[in-house]
Amino acid sequence: MSREHPLKPVERELKVAPRRRLDLIEEVDADARAMQAELEGSGRTSRQARQDALRHFVPADQALEELAARHAPRLGRWARSAGWADRVVVLGVALAATLAGFIAVAALYGYGVPDVAAFVTWPLVAVIGALAANLCWAVTQLLMHGDLRPTQRRLLWNRHAGLLVVAVALGALGAAWVGHATLAPLEPPAIAAPESPMEQPPVWEPPVWEAVGRMATVAGTGLAAAVFGLFGWLALTPRLLTDEEAERRIARFFAQARPQLTLASDPSPEHERRGRP
Amino acid sequence: MRQITLSKRINELLVLAVLDHGPAHGYQIALSVEERTGGAFSFQHGTLYPILHRLEDEGRLRSKWHGERRRRKTYHLTAAGRAELAAGAEELERQFQALFGLIRGTHVA
Repeated sequence: MSREHPLKPVERELKVAPRRRLDLIEEVDADARAMQAELEGSGRTSRQARQDALRHFVPADQALEELAARHAPRLGRWARSAGWADRVVVLGVALAATLAGFIAVAALYGYGVPDVAAFVTWPLVAVIGALAANLCWAVTQLLMHGDLRPTQRRLLWNRHAGLLVVAVALGALGAAWVGHATLAPLEPPAIAAPESPMEQPPVWEPPVWEAVGRMATVAGTGLAAAVFGLFGWLALTPRLLTDEEAERRIARFFAQARPQLTLASDPSPEHERRGRP
Repeated sequence: MRQITLSKRINELLVLAVLDHGPAHGYQIALSVEERTGGAFSFQHGTLYPILHRLEDEGRLRSKWHGERRRRKTYHLTAAGRAELAAGAEELERQFQALFGLIRGTHVA
C-alpha cells in the first residue's frame, strides 16, 4: 500500500494560489528534514526524530486556516471579513451572464435580423450568457481564493471549448435558416407581358445579396460570441500558465519525495501517515 | 491598531527575540525558542508558519530563499521588527507586572 506524503493533506487542504502552496510545502519539508537530522544526530531514533519533526512543523487545521486567511487575495480577504463571499460570487456570475445575454439580444435585433428563428436566437443568447458565467466563475475563484485547482481548470476549459463550438454551430445554423427563409418561398412576381413584341420582358432576380447580408450577420453573431469567449480565455491564460507551472513543481516535489518515503519501512501510526501529529 | 490575543503576541515576541540574534530557518527558530525557554514555550503543529508569514507581511521580518533543487527559507529581522520587539517587550512586562500585582495583592503604580 502506498503511503501518502505527510505534506500531501496540507497541500490538498490549503486553498491558496499554487505558488503559495509550493512555497509552504517546501518550507515545511526543509524545516522538518533539518530538525529530523539534528534530532537523529543527538541520539534519537530515526522514527522518533521524524515524528517529533512532523509534530513541530506539519500545520494542523487551525494553522492551515490562518495561513489560508493570510494568503487569500485582497478581495477574498475583504469579502470573507464582510461575511458575504458566496453572495459576491453568485451575484457576479449572474450579473455577467445577464449582461452578456442582453448585449447579445441587442446585437441581434440592432442588426435588423429579428426574423432569425427563435430556436437559434435564444440558444445563442444562452450560450453567450454561459460563456460569460464560466469566465466570471473562474475570475471570482482566482480573486476570492487565488486558487483554481487542476481539476477546476480542466472543467473551465472543457466547458469553454464546448460553448465555443456550440456558438459557432448556432451561428452557422442561424445563417442557413435565414438563407432558407429569405430565398426559398420567393417566386417570380407576375410580370405583365410586354405590349410590343420588340420589347424584352423584365428579368426577375431573387434578392441574393440581401439574403447573403443577413446570413453573414447571423453567422457573424455566432462567431462574435466565440471570439468573446476566446478573448476572455486569453485574458486568463497568463495567470493560468503561471499556476500550471507551480502545480507541475508541486507534483514534482511529491514525486521526488515518494521513493524516500517508501524506503522508510518502519510502520508508522495512522495519524503520522495523515500528517497529523 | 491591530487586535491580537495575548498568546499570539507572546509568540510573535518569541520569534522576534530569536531572530534578534541573527537570521534563522524555521526549524532553528522553533528549536531556539524551545531550548532558550527551557521548554516553557514551543511551536507545535505548524503554528510557527502563520506567525512568520504574518510578521513578514507586516514588514517586521524579511525572508530569503536559498538553494536551487532543495530550497531553504531564511528569515531575518528588519528595523521595524527590532522596534516592535523593544516596544512589545516593554508592554508585555507592564502587563505581567499588573497581572502579578493583582495575583499577589501588591499595587502597581
